[in-house]
Amino acid sequence: MNVGLPDVLVQLRSRGRQATIPSVYPPIIHYATRRGQSGKDHPVTAISRRTLIATALVTPAIARRAFSQAKVIKIGAPLPLTGALAPEGLKQRRGYEIWADAVKSADGIKVGNDRVKVELAYADYESNTPRAAQAVERMITQGGVSAVFGPYGSGAVKASSTVTERHKVPMLAPTASAREVYDQGHKFLFGTLAPNDAVTVPLARFMLAAVPNLKRMAILSRNDLFPLALGQQMEQAAKQSNIEVASFQRYPIGAMDHASALTEMAATKPDWVFVTGYTNDLILVRRQMHELKFTARVITMLTGPSYKEFIDALGPLAERVSSVSWWEPVLPYRGVGPFATSEDYAKAFTARYNVVPDYGEASSTACAVVLQTAAEKAQSIEPIALRDALAGLEVLTFYGPIKFGPSGQIESQKCPIFQLQGGKRVIVAPADIRQGDLQIIS
Amino acid sequence: MIAQVLLNGLLLGGLYACIAAGFSLLWGVMNVINLLHGTLVVLGGYLAWMAFYFFGVHPLVALPAVALLVGLFGASLQAGVLGRVVGAPVLVTLVITFGLDLITRNGLLLSFGADFRTIRPSWTLGTAEVGGLKIPLDRTIAASAALAMTLALYLLLRRSWLGRAIIAVRMDRDAAALMGVRVRHAFTAAFALSAALAGAAGALLGLVFPISPLQSDGYLGTAFTVCVLGGLGSVVGAVVGGVVLGLVESIAGFALGAENASIVSFVLLILLLAVRPEGLLGRRGYA
Repeated sequence: MNVGLPDVLVQLRSRGRQATIPSVYPPIIHYATRRGQSGKDHPVTAISRRTLIATALVTPAIARRAFSQAKVIKIGAPLPLTGALAPEGLKQRRGYEIWADAVKSADGIKVGNDRVKVELAYADYESNTPRAAQAVERMITQGGVSAVFGPYGSGAVKASSTVTERHKVPMLAPTASAREVYDQGHKFLFGTLAPNDAVTVPLARFMLAAVPNLKRMAILSRNDLFPLALGQQMEQAAKQSNIEVASFQRYPIGAMDHASALTEMAATKPDWVFVTGYTNDLILVRRQMHELKFTARVITMLTGPSYKEFIDALGPLAERVSSVSWWEPVLPYRGVGPFATSEDYAKAFTARYNVVPDYGEASSTACAVVLQTAAEKAQSIEPIALRDALAGLEVLTFYGPIKFGPSGQIESQKCPIFQLQGGKRVIVAPADIRQGDLQIIS
Repeated sequence: MIAQVLLNGLLLGGLYACIAAGFSLLWGVMNVINLLHGTLVVLGGYLAWMAFYFFGVHPLVALPAVALLVGLFGASLQAGVLGRVVGAPVLVTLVITFGLDLITRNGLLLSFGADFRTIRPSWTLGTAEVGGLKIPLDRTIAASAALAMTLALYLLLRRSWLGRAIIAVRMDRDAAALMGVRVRHAFTAAFALSAALAGAAGALLGLVFPISPLQSDGYLGTAFTVCVLGGLGSVVGAVVGGVVLGLVESIAGFALGAENASIVSFVLLILLLAVRPEGLLGRRGYA
């Protein structure tokens, strides 16, 4: 008969031969006691000497394992590794991995007097938002994670943050910037991208100052939570700056053609064209603008130009397209964590992945650094202690100063405005980190 | 401006027709709803991209080779997998092509990753301007080539022995066999033709759209819509369906906003199904 360890312990009790049970074994003690008291145990055969010896040998090993398990912080990372958002999901994973490797080489993170190892638990939610929420639920209820890194984008974070809130597990969202994500009154949600109006208001003011006679603009937004919110914020910011919004078009998710929207926009003869969407959308829009000979003095696209794929795919057509980023490698920050400065981070990232990191990757790493700092500060890896530490955190990192507002969204971030010049991102504002002037397209 | 909107719609419709022609052929002839079709289009796009990236061959030049390769792939699938369930209920082939689609699509994901690839030939024809009308020449050539291929399919089905054999099998498999048509070969030829058209469409679309394994659903959805709109069993139906869909989306997008274009086209589709369920030019048989 195959007798398991809990059965052995039950047998020991039932025969009045009380063994010394290791103190690191509470779950099994509980299990054995419960089964013993219930009276529903299987019939027990006489315990053999061999079984006792095996038990004695196995117990320290299990004890060691149990002990070592206590020294690991498990962090859930639901990602869209397949499906429409896979490129973005893979980038986000790179941001986590470079941090996890740095922490591993430092023998874990310091929590109180212990070194705690990090274990990232990935789940592919196939770019399907409901599945992201399901993955988060599984990570918490079955995976026992102490914290969760948010899925990609505002929509998925908004959906899955209700799960982390219900289970009181902190979620750190690296790629959700829409205010609508953070206005739900959640206490366990934190985000490292500044809200959209922190992008659009300075952008409108800058363009008004940098482009002579800027009077009229046209907006084209993907009809999706983040890009649409960004477009609407841009519309408000433009109106505040007395820029007329002559056209505001929305295109559906998965649109294969933008010719009709662009034709309508071109008819308004805008000085400034502002387009929001994801990389694939923006590549197509820029190509079709060229095909239709539709141009403007300024073309701003969010968020594609931050990515190398955008520049590679468009070549000369990417030239002079402007954008806003939440982070750039040239930012002059020095702070805590495995990467002291923005430059150090960019170098380490480039050495590993052979590509300059973009803001999404940096924000993902920043989330991890912030969680590490919170664990060190709280001297605990318990979810509620981590949440409390995150809420009161005020820290300088390679990503910039990080302080979360009452809604959980970062409130300390300044977003650089850049333009693609010679195939590279050149910062044109703010003035203290400016690398060049904005070049007018036509 | 209205002329520009109509032109945009026509060019888009030409590409839609090309996506749908192969799908319609297979559905109409073999009664196989090929859920792999969108992925075959993407496969054609990747082959064209590889020809361009590794050998510097323009997609229009690579088009015959791409069509041949994807056609051979389709023929092997038919001979090796789908041929075993000829005559089975449509649900069986639906499930099989769904499985084949999953395998092929994930194979593309593993091979090429999920990033977008674009074909940027060093020479492009640019945009011609005629009386204020802007004509994107690359897109025009792609749409024209698409329509030419659809016409070639029409002629093949009408004039060649192979085409008549395929149509005979569709109309009455047993009678066709009695008349000396090798039914199994006719099925393989039809699948190969359909796949070749999908591959060619992929090469043409690669000139216009970024290529990614994730686009296959969009192409498949377009093929479905065009076929139902134009009517099964007619090459001309695929062309008409494609052009109508392109025009409706273009006009609705301009008049009501891009986000409402799909709503209008699907409302139109539902209305058509209610009034004329066989589609605009649907008929039994083919061509």
